[in-house]
Amino acid sequence: MATRKQARIGRYKIAAELGRGAMGVVYKAKDPVLDRTVALKTIGMGEDASGRSEYQARFFLEAKAAGKLNHPNIITIHDYGEEGELAWMAMELLEGTELRARMQEGQVPLAEAIDIAQQVAEGLGYAHEHGVVHRDIKPSNIMLMKRGKVKIMDFGIARMRASDLKTSTGVVLGTPRYMSPEQVAGEPVDHRSDIFSLGTVLYEMLTRTSLFAGNDTPQILHNVQAFQPVAPSRLNPEVPAMLDFVVARALKKEPDVRYQDAYEMAADLRACLAELRGREPEPEGERSATKTIKLDAEPTRVVAPAAGAIGSDTRLPLSARFDCTAALDRLVTPGRRDAARLRRAPRPVGLARRLLRDPGQRLLFTVALAAAVAGGMIAFG
Amino acid sequence: MLPPMPNKNEPATFLASVVFLKIHEFARRPVQEQTRLRAQLEAVVAVAAAGIAPADRVVLDASDGIALVVLGAPRAALATAERALAASAAGLPLAVGINHGAVALSGAKKRDGMTGDGIAVAASAAEFSSPGRVLASRAFRDAIADESPGAEASLVPAGTFTDAGLRTHELYTPDAAAPGRRRRRLNALAAASVVLFVGAGIGMRASSDPRQPRFLDDTIAKVRQSTRDSQAFLRGLVQKAKF
Repeated sequence: MATRKQARIGRYKIAAELGRGAMGVVYKAKDPVLDRTVALKTIGMGEDASGRSEYQARFFLEAKAAGKLNHPNIITIHDYGEEGELAWMAMELLEGTELRARMQEGQVPLAEAIDIAQQVAEGLGYAHEHGVVHRDIKPSNIMLMKRGKVKIMDFGIARMRASDLKTSTGVVLGTPRYMSPEQVAGEPVDHRSDIFSLGTVLYEMLTRTSLFAGNDTPQILHNVQAFQPVAPSRLNPEVPAMLDFVVARALKKEPDVRYQDAYEMAADLRACLAELRGREPEPEGERSATKTIKLDAEPTRVVAPAAGAIGSDTRLPLSARFDCTAALDRLVTPGRRDAARLRRAPRPVGLARRLLRDPGQRLLFTVALAAAVAGGMIAFG
Repeated sequence: MLPPMPNKNEPATFLASVVFLKIHEFARRPVQEQTRLRAQLEAVVAVAAAGIAPADRVVLDASDGIALVVLGAPRAALATAERALAASAAGLPLAVGINHGAVALSGAKKRDGMTGDGIAVAASAAEFSSPGRVLASRAFRDAIADESPGAEASLVPAGTFTDAGLRTHELYTPDAAAPGRRRRRLNALAAASVVLFVGAGIGMRASSDPRQPRFLDDTIAKVRQSTRDSQAFLRGLVQKAKF
């Protein structure tokens, strides 16, 4: 197991332990051949012989695919192999901050959040183009480097993680909070699953909330499949409308209406960034005024479903763009006459009311009555 | 059986006209286009709803459109829908559904939004509608008739539609020519009634006046005589043809 202290793994000389997880350890190691420092990730292959061979085959397949990825937003994999019960992977040693730690520090500024998501989307686009799906995009797998560079980590070993969820029907790969609905359902996943996970990460960066939170895993999984998130702009008024649409599209439950391509999402995020930078810097007074107005909005508003989904959930939130205070006041505290009027169902229109209020019918009735009188007078007059 | 006790927590329900303005195929459009269309829709709603007093309307957000709840003025709701369609002619694919039904305020302070079947049916109607078209429910047509008898003639049947929940909706669509057709039909009926009543009066008068020859008998005798004359003339012609 990886818990054992070792001086050397493969040709790599262990220098220090960087981190430890349930399935393995990450070391800082030195490659004596190329004289470079790498991050060496080790994973225990398991005791069971049959399970081990399957696990090993999958690991090497994934590692090989991920090793081919060469992109500025993806961590570089230099080498991989096995030693005893350990499978290992030598990767570029990144010196930066995990996005998870950055998010714990405080609110990620809007432009920075969009930039991070855009870079991750670029990296994912490249990986998907090369047939590699990450399956476990989450803040702890995103590294923020110096000068704003972002790197996606754990490509290739994302499928081997301890965070994989074991269900009664098998193993569902991923971290529940960042899984896509199809992942949760145990259905085959494709690159669009990563897009959903990135949408979740972006949402959390923008709003500083846990999108699919729950007390236990089943509740989280249910929320992933059923909960319709509130538009980020309702929780963070600085979020522009266009970004709401980007997040909404990335978080579509149905993969067919989600972004079909991470590059497409990256392009939209670039457009958002351009729009945001175009309107910056705002005068201080104006910015605080806008905040004051929008913060009146309740942070717990319900999401606005599409017309097609309203059959199951008819709740619609008030529009933030139109002032409805007068009408709401009227409905919350209606006068007696008003209350009666607003609760009265339409009555069927009887003959008397129709004759009194329908000009066409009234004319017909009047003419017919006049003709009848005239006919009567001719006949009997 | 005793009547149910009113529940204080139960939301107060109102009847209102709901105009659901839905951007056609919104979810499938690129985000930049979604942003543009959404901004365009908000501008259209601002223009179209300007004729309604702020105390008479509530604007709700839907993810693919806007729902406008109009209180106590179905005709104003229909006019707003038609104004919105007219204003949206420039590249905004707007499908409109209108219903008159139950709505209630939702949320802890009853100021978060609205819910109710009134919204659901309007949304269903908007789903069945196509860009540039308004579909209204039967309940809305009844509400129009209640507010202004005769005005419902402008809504003509568009068909019966069944939604995903297997609920059937009888829908109507505005037809600008329909009131004109109705007016002409009523005018024709008025003219026919004049002919009928006045003609009947003349007939009765003519047949009942003792100083005048019996009008009806004379008419019948004249018809019979002319028939006989015609037969004789035809026989003469046949004889000539034989020679």
